This record gives sequence, structure tokens and C-alpha cells, in this order.
Amino acid sequence: MPTMEEYAKQPIADRVKRLERTPDELAAAIKGQSATVLAKRPDEKNWAAVEVVCHLRDTEEGFAGRFQMLLAMDDPQLFGPDPDRWAAERQYLRNDAGDAVAAFRKRRQDTLDILRKLTSEQWKRGGSHPVRGRITIEDFVTLMAWHDDNHLDQLKRAVEGKA
Amino acid sequence: MPFAYYERLSRAQQKIYRDSDGVTELRLERPADLHPRVTALQAALSTEARPATQAATEGLIDGLTDALGIPRVTVEVLAARPHAQWGELHGLYTVTRGRRPKIQLWMRTAKHKRVVAFRTFLRTLLHEVGHHIDYTLLRLPDSFHTEGFYKRESSLFYQLVPDARRRVSAPAVRSMEDWRAALVADRLERLERTPSDLARLVRGHTGTVLSRRPAPDAWSAKEVVCHLRDAEEHLSGWIRMILAMDDPVLVTTGTADRWVEERQYARHHVGAAWDAFGRRRDETLDLLRGLPAEAWARAGRHERRGRMTVDDLIALMAWHDDNHLDQVKRALDGKP
Repeated sequence: MPTMEEYAKQPIADRVKRLERTPDELAAAIKGQSATVLAKRPDEKNWAAVEVVCHLRDTEEGFAGRFQMLLAMDDPQLFGPDPDRWAAERQYLRNDAGDAVAAFRKRRQDTLDILRKLTSEQWKRGGSHPVRGRITIEDFVTLMAWHDDNHLDQLKRAVEGKA
Repeated sequence: MPFAYYERLSRAQQKIYRDSDGVTELRLERPADLHPRVTALQAALSTEARPATQAATEGLIDGLTDALGIPRVTVEVLAARPHAQWGELHGLYTVTRGRRPKIQLWMRTAKHKRVVAFRTFLRTLLHEVGHHIDYTLLRLPDSFHTEGFYKRESSLFYQLVPDARRRVSAPAVRSMEDWRAALVADRLERLERTPSDLARLVRGHTGTVLSRRPAPDAWSAKEVVCHLRDAEEHLSGWIRMILAMDDPVLVTTGTADRWVEERQYARHHVGAAWDAFGRRRDETLDLLRGLPAEAWARAGRHERRGRMTVDDLIALMAWHDDNHLDQVKRALDGKP
């Protein structure tokens, strides 16, 4: 699994390809699993598979929102999400994992549509992130590629009952 | 059922009260004749110019008194409402012996000096004309605020603004422009009350009823609660952006209907959703109450609504609460 630094060195097209693959990989990872398995947390703190899928769905919407901000404003302040609060508030454990993957697939498509239209200058547009400091659209795509890997791995472990 | 103050009136006054309460409607013979004057008043008020509003107000009141066959009154439209100890003065009807009775109306709010919403202004106008009607048409020796008085005022309002009838089914829903003209304290009070109003509405209903959509494309009560929860996060997020940046773009990442589907509201537990909404709402109120006055004028840019201040967003939220509380009521009644 490449680190963020390693992803950053890859051509943008390769990183985008990684993003394109994720919906199918998610669908494959949950295929044939019962709702009980998908909603079972490996331990008290770690998310169940369905929570991981919902997290990817909702952060995808968040990423698209940030891209809109970075494209419309000069150096905006970005706010960090609160993923654990979302998991509880939006009741991820009650979600259907298959439907959540379908929703993620659409959101990811929206993101890819934004990215495919960017000019080379726009890839460099940036803002201030509360944790990560100055961050550009290109940095976000690096982050997303790594984030996908990380959560796919987490999901596979959760299905096996591992934290 | 008379209002509580009835008991404190003398016997003679109680007789007047009962006479007033007995007349619940005033029929205009040809209300449509006055519609152009109503439209002219709305147009004049929207220019925010006092002389134009004065002229249009006079035109409508003269039209009304003539139509009812009662003497004309002197009309005075003034700028900002004066503060009174019990609140703001909206309108005033005075009779001085030997002079023509006078109606005074204020076209701007006391605090923010904003032009009053058209419907609010028209209601105030009809309220004051109502006092004049009591003395001159109904020949009452005094003019009390009885239920009959308010019904007469409403009957005139709906003859003058026929399309307002659509709102009668939901009298609790105030328009966004009404909320914008309302006092900040009233708006915050609306926001504070919503979680308990919501609880009262959903309490005692089964999960099946709460999850039932009144029509295929109309949300269930539960979906409305989930929507309020997520909208609270979204709208308070905009306020935080406006406070943190100068003139930020207020981005939207999806329609409310898309959220309903993709976040699978139909599978949520309504109690937990209500609880989460209440916590989000408390946080919003904490944020708003801690703001210095000048922060209310800070603004962001919305793709569709244009420039929106914190003040506008609070009006939007108050209207949004009204609107969705009403929707919950209807959904529980099986009405879209």
C-alpha cells in the first residue's frame, strides 16, 4: 500500500486511476457478505464494514465541496470533518452497505467529473487546512488515493472481524 | 370564549365586547376593485421610499373606507417604529374630538430599520382600519381586540390578497421575509423552540406512521427530522464560514432529496435523529448568542440566493423550521 509521499510522486493520471477503481473494489469486498457481518464492529472502537463504506460516501461529498471552495475562492480556510460524529449521527450502522456503495459510486463520479475539467493552474489552487496546513487540489487527490487504500484495507479487515 | 381581560371589563364594556365578538366577517361588494391599490402598495413599499408608500397607503385606505361607506381618515406613514416598553409600535389609530380620525403606520422596524414585510404592513393597516370600522360602521362605543375583531381583520385581508388563502392551511408558517423583519430575539426563540415542538409532534406515533410517506415523492415525518438534523450541520457550517472568512462562497454539495436517498433516512431511528438535531441546534444557538452585533451583518455569497448575511441565514433557518414542522404535521395526517 503506497504511502501519501509515494502517491504524491506518481503522475496525476495514475492517482486519478486509483480513484476510478475504488467503487468496484468496494463492491467486490462486500459481495456475498451478510448484513450482520457487514454491521459487526471488530471491537468497540473500530468501524464495521458498512460504516467504512458510509464514511467514504460522506467524505467524498466533503472533498467535492472543498474543490468547489478552492476553485471559487483564493486561499480559503477549510474545515476538518468529524467522521466519528457522522458515523453516530447519520446512523451508519443502520445503512445498507450495497446502497451506500452505489451512492459512493455516484459521488465519486461527480468528483472525477470535476477533476477531468481542471486546467493545470487549477490543480495548484490551494487553501488552509486546520490539520494539514496549506493544501492544493492536487494534494487532495493524493490524500484521497491514500484514503481509499487505507479504508479498503480497513473494510477487508472488518469483514474478517479484525480491527 | 372571550379573552381573559373580558372578566376585568365593566358590564357596559362587556356588552360592547360581545357585540364586537359577534361580527366575524366584513364583506366587500367588489373586492377586486381594490386589488390594483393593493398591488400599488406592495410596489411602493418595495421601493422603500416613504412618500410613495404614504401615497399608496392613503389610496388603499380611502378605497376601503369608500367601499364600506364610512368617513375617510387621515393617514400618516412614518419611518422607523418607535420603541415602546412592551415592544415595537406597528400602527396607531387615534380619535381627537373635532378632528378627522388618524391612522399612523410605521414602515421600518425599530431595531434594524428594515422595511416591514408587505403582508405584515398590510395586516397592520387593516388592524388600524378595523378600529375605525368599529366606531363608524359597527357604531360600537369602544373598539376592543376581540376574536371577532381579528376575524374581521382576516376577512378583509383575504379579500384583498386572495392567493393568501393557500397559507391558511398552515397559519404557523411565516414567510422568510416576515422572519427577516422579526426581532432577533423572536427568531432565536423560534430556533430554540423547534426541538421541543418537533418532539411534541412525533411523540406517541408508531414507527410505521413516522416512516410512512404521504405520497411517493413527499417525505415521511422521520425523513423530515433527519433532514433538519443534516440541514442544521450544513447551515451552521455556512455561518462558521462567514465568520472565518470575508465574503466566502457558500457551497452546496447536494440537494436535500439526494441526502434523503444516499444517507438512507428511511432506515434511521427517529429518536436518535431528533437527539442529534437537538445537540446540533444547541451548538448553533451557543454560537449565535456569543456573536457581537456587527457579526450579524457579515455575509457570504450563495449561488442562487446571492449575498446572504448571518442575519439572513437566521431568518432562513426560522422559516425552514416553520416549514418543516408544518410538513411533519401534514405527513402524520397522511397529507403531502
